[in-house]
Amino acid sequence: MSKAAGRGLQRYDRQMLIEGFGREGQERLRRAKVVVAGAGGLGCVISIYLAAAGVGKIRLVDHDRVEFTDLNRQILYTDKDVGRRKVDSAKERLESLNPEVTVEAVDQTITEDSVLELVGGYDLIVDAMDNFAARYILNKAAIDNDIPLFHGAIHGFEGRATTIIPGRTACLRCLYRRVPSLGTTPVIGVAAAVIGSIQATEVIKYIVGIGELLTNRLLIYDGLGLECMELELKRHPDCEECRHIREAQR
Amino acid sequence: MSVRVRLHPYFRRFTDGQDAVEAVGQTIGECIDDLGSRFPGIKERLCDEKGELLSFYDIYVNSQSCYPEELAKPLKDGDELTIVTIIAGG
Repeated sequence: MSKAAGRGLQRYDRQMLIEGFGREGQERLRRAKVVVAGAGGLGCVISIYLAAAGVGKIRLVDHDRVEFTDLNRQILYTDKDVGRRKVDSAKERLESLNPEVTVEAVDQTITEDSVLELVGGYDLIVDAMDNFAARYILNKAAIDNDIPLFHGAIHGFEGRATTIIPGRTACLRCLYRRVPSLGTTPVIGVAAAVIGSIQATEVIKYIVGIGELLTNRLLIYDGLGLECMELELKRHPDCEECRHIREAQR
Repeated sequence: MSVRVRLHPYFRRFTDGQDAVEAVGQTIGECIDDLGSRFPGIKERLCDEKGELLSFYDIYVNSQSCYPEELAKPLKDGDELTIVTIIAGG
C-alpha cells in the first residue's frame, strides 16, 4: 500500500468538513472525469485545483510546447520545461501534487474532427482555450453530447466566466454571436489565477452538488478596478448551435 | 426612447466613474451617438471611422445579444443595454 493510500481520505479532510460536502462529495470527485481543454494560463490553474481537490481523472489536452513567454502565468512549468510538451510537464507536476489522481496527457489539437474522441466518455469539459475557433468547437461538442462546459477567458487584468449546461442555459454561441479576430493577448498571471480558480470552483460545485452555479450569468471581472459585474444571459432564439434543443428540455 | 446603458469598467473613464448612464435614441446606433455627444471618447472607442461597431464588442439588450447589425436594432423605452468587450485569452 502506498503512503498516500494508507492515509485514506486524510488529504481531503478540510474540504470534507464543508457543509454539504462530506465523504459523499469526495467520492463524487474521485469518480469524476474532467477534460481540461488547454494547458495554458487558465488550464494550469484549473488542473492544479482539480487535482488537489481529488478529481479522479483529468484529461489535459494541448498541442503546444512550453515557451519562455508562458512562464509569467502558466504556473505548472519552470525554466527547465521550456521546449517540452506542455501536457507531459503538466502531468508530472499534477501527479506529484496528488498521486491519487490520474492525469492523461493528450498532445493534440482540438479540431472538428478530433473533438469527439477527445471529450467522449468524460463528464465535464473545461474551456481553457486561447482562441474562439477552438472554443466554438468545444461548445458544439458539449451541446451535441450533452456535457456541461465551463467557460473562462482572460485579457490583461480582466476575465470572463460562465457555466453552460446544454439545453438549460445560454451557450457560448448565444453569448458571442460574432467571431472577432484578436491578436496576441496581453495577460498577467493573476488574471488567470482568478478566472481559472472560478472555473475550478464551478466544476467542483457541479460535481459535489452544492452551491449556486454561474449559469445564465456572465461574470465580468476587472482586476484593475477590482470589481465584478454580471450580465444575465438568455438563450438566443437564433443560436446556430443550441436552438434545435427543444424548449421542454430547458 | 430612453434606455439604461450598463458600462464595462473601461468606459467609466469617460463617464466620471458612472457604471450606468441613461441614453436617448430610437436605435442602438442613435443611443451611441447620444452617449458620444455627452461623453466624448466613448463612440470613438466603440466604432471605427465608418461608424461600424468594432468587432471585439458585443451589445446586449435585456440580456440578449443584438448581433448582427446591432446599431440598426430598434429599442423600447426602458430597455437595458450592456456593452461587453469580447476576450479570448487563456
